[in-house]
Amino acid sequence: MAQRGTKIVAIVLLLGGLAGAARAADIRTVTKELFQVPSTTGNEEMLAAKVRGLLPKELPVETASLGTIAVRLGGAPGPTLILAALDGYGHMVSGITPEGYLTLDRPVPPPHPRFDGYLLGQPVVISTAKGPVQGVVSQPAMHLLTPERRKALVEGFSLETAFIDIGVRSEKEARAKGIELLDPVTFPAVLTELPGQQWAGTSLGVKAAAAALIAVAEGWAGRVGGDETVLAWAAQTKFPARGRGARPAVGAAAAQSRWQPRRTIVIDVVAAGRGDGFPFPGGGPVLIQAKDEPSALRRALEAAAAAAGAPLQVLTAPGSPLALPFAAPPSEVITLALPVRFLNTPSEVVALKDLEALRDILVRFLQPGGAK
Amino acid sequence: MIKRALLVLLVLSVGLSPAAAQSKAWDILREIVLVPGVSGHEGPVADFIKGRLPAGFKAERDAMSNVWFTVGSGRPHILFVAHSDELGWTIDRITPEGRVRVKPGGGILPQTIEARPVLIHTAKGDVAGIVAPRPGYDDRPSQGEVQEEKPFTAESFDIFLGVSTEAEARALGVAEGDTVTAKKVLTDFAPGLMATRAVDDRAGCAALLDAALRLKPETIKGRTVTFAWDVQEETGLFGAAELAKTLKPDYVFAIDTFVSTDSPLESKRFGFLPVGKGAVLRSIDSSNVTPKTEIAKALAIARRRGIPIQVGNSRGGNDGSVFLAGGAVDIPLSWPGSYAHSLIEKIDRRDLEALTDLILAIVSDWK
Repeated sequence: MAQRGTKIVAIVLLLGGLAGAARAADIRTVTKELFQVPSTTGNEEMLAAKVRGLLPKELPVETASLGTIAVRLGGAPGPTLILAALDGYGHMVSGITPEGYLTLDRPVPPPHPRFDGYLLGQPVVISTAKGPVQGVVSQPAMHLLTPERRKALVEGFSLETAFIDIGVRSEKEARAKGIELLDPVTFPAVLTELPGQQWAGTSLGVKAAAAALIAVAEGWAGRVGGDETVLAWAAQTKFPARGRGARPAVGAAAAQSRWQPRRTIVIDVVAAGRGDGFPFPGGGPVLIQAKDEPSALRRALEAAAAAAGAPLQVLTAPGSPLALPFAAPPSEVITLALPVRFLNTPSEVVALKDLEALRDILVRFLQPGGAK
Repeated sequence: MIKRALLVLLVLSVGLSPAAAQSKAWDILREIVLVPGVSGHEGPVADFIKGRLPAGFKAERDAMSNVWFTVGSGRPHILFVAHSDELGWTIDRITPEGRVRVKPGGGILPQTIEARPVLIHTAKGDVAGIVAPRPGYDDRPSQGEVQEEKPFTAESFDIFLGVSTEAEARALGVAEGDTVTAKKVLTDFAPGLMATRAVDDRAGCAALLDAALRLKPETIKGRTVTFAWDVQEETGLFGAAELAKTLKPDYVFAIDTFVSTDSPLESKRFGFLPVGKGAVLRSIDSSNVTPKTEIAKALAIARRRGIPIQVGNSRGGNDGSVFLAGGAVDIPLSWPGSYAHSLIEKIDRRDLEALTDLILAIVSDWK
């Protein structure tokens, strides 16, 4: 009888392994699906709906303020929060000229001074209530470019001279296409598959991290045991709260207020591949702490990585706006970040093995005993 | 029931303009614009064109990949020419880190391909890469610091291939001399209005190919007509120069972009020929001044045929100018193109179809 029991356990483990293998393929599909959905700060509802649709049906989805969504994995009380972002950086329609051109603004400050410059002469998509509208951001014709105009319109490109052409001749025609002020403006979702199992695309890092958390929920569905854990996809994580000093992300602060977690793992992205001192793409997820000191959460994540056979990189860096709201003792917070090459450019590069390692670490962390 | 269907078809066919009913230029453009053909490497475009020409025309192709055919005999000899090359880069070297460096040039604002995908056209097939953003692209200047930006140029950027050694890059098939183009995205503003890379001059190629497919040789009597797709226009009109050694036309109609100022960033002082308002007679550009008598002749033909037409002057050169020294008159034909030499060259289907109609009308009526 005991022998039969062992066999059953072995078969269950084998099936579990097969399911894990199937899920390994799924995270790529899920990432591609999320990648197609535009999502900028304050306009996360389409991505939230997509995430909601991809989550296992047996996990009820909670909706929190600002549009954040979450699922609760059962277990002993005492919430652990694993938080990923829904929003990426982007632009929005700020006006429509009488000639039907759209002007632009940003919902949040740019991640770096070059960010707006990537718009020059590019195709964009405006997500309207009537559906996507394709357009291009104007650029001067090369044949008509004097040195003065090059300096002003190319090297000095800013939102002041950014006009989106959507192929209409009047404000009325633009509105007839569904264009409204505040509609999000993003680059078309064109995925570039590079050698070495690497993908590149706009806002890919955030989408991939969100996909990892979906994969974790899929891996969890139907299980019991472990600690109660909230998996959350937070809106408005790029919007810093007003005030002096360190400014936490509004979406993260709201999540802290709602779930008041004892410990938090922030799933974020981190610039990689920039040489010494920076994480290495393909070297595994990056464990980021404000101070390089041992903690129960860090030990648990390192143990989970070891058990999952996943590489882990460690970085000491000041608390990010996402982690800040969770940093007050006795709470514990750690950031587990996906290394991204060319972060916050139109071609963020993600190594799929880093993404799969991120998922594997979290899945192992959530298994009974994994978080101890 | 059948009678009713035939009646509907009749009504529809009467309602459609001849151009809309017959022209395939738009569909050809959407295909040919995606075929890579950086100057000096136009072979795939030449293959595309030659492969679609009617079998009855005796098409020729030279070592440079110029393609042409001639029908009819006698004078005048009328030449139509569109260029098959596109803007892009050539690989100069591969770094020990497996990055690709390109030769200077390109003809496109390098800022517009920073951190953008490109395709490297290798002997083994296309390899995707990303133009690396400038070093320190996300540095934030400290308070009060004025950050001096280094120019982002073809000489300064490199292309990331997803590998970390030269050997890995070479294993992908990447080699010096391979060409690089921006990954093309077709922006469809509406049916029949789009923007993408290489509309200059694939729209000219498509118009000429469409005209060739619709050409009725019996309309050419006592005259000679040559259709040519030439190479290396963007780098110095070299293909046209080669053709000019053997072709001695009386009239040359270069089919190329009219650099329109129909854009929110351009002065409307000149070149303001709106997109969607018809084909263009390019009266004066940087390489040619078309005699007013010839403009008047072309205008008269267009008006007689009900072809929407605009006349204007702008900048940029054209292949026809190479034939001036041989005694030809150059009368460039165009469509109004916004955002010339960019990733977002804009074109309207109506203009393209008017252009093909104009080509055919000139074939038939030009004296």
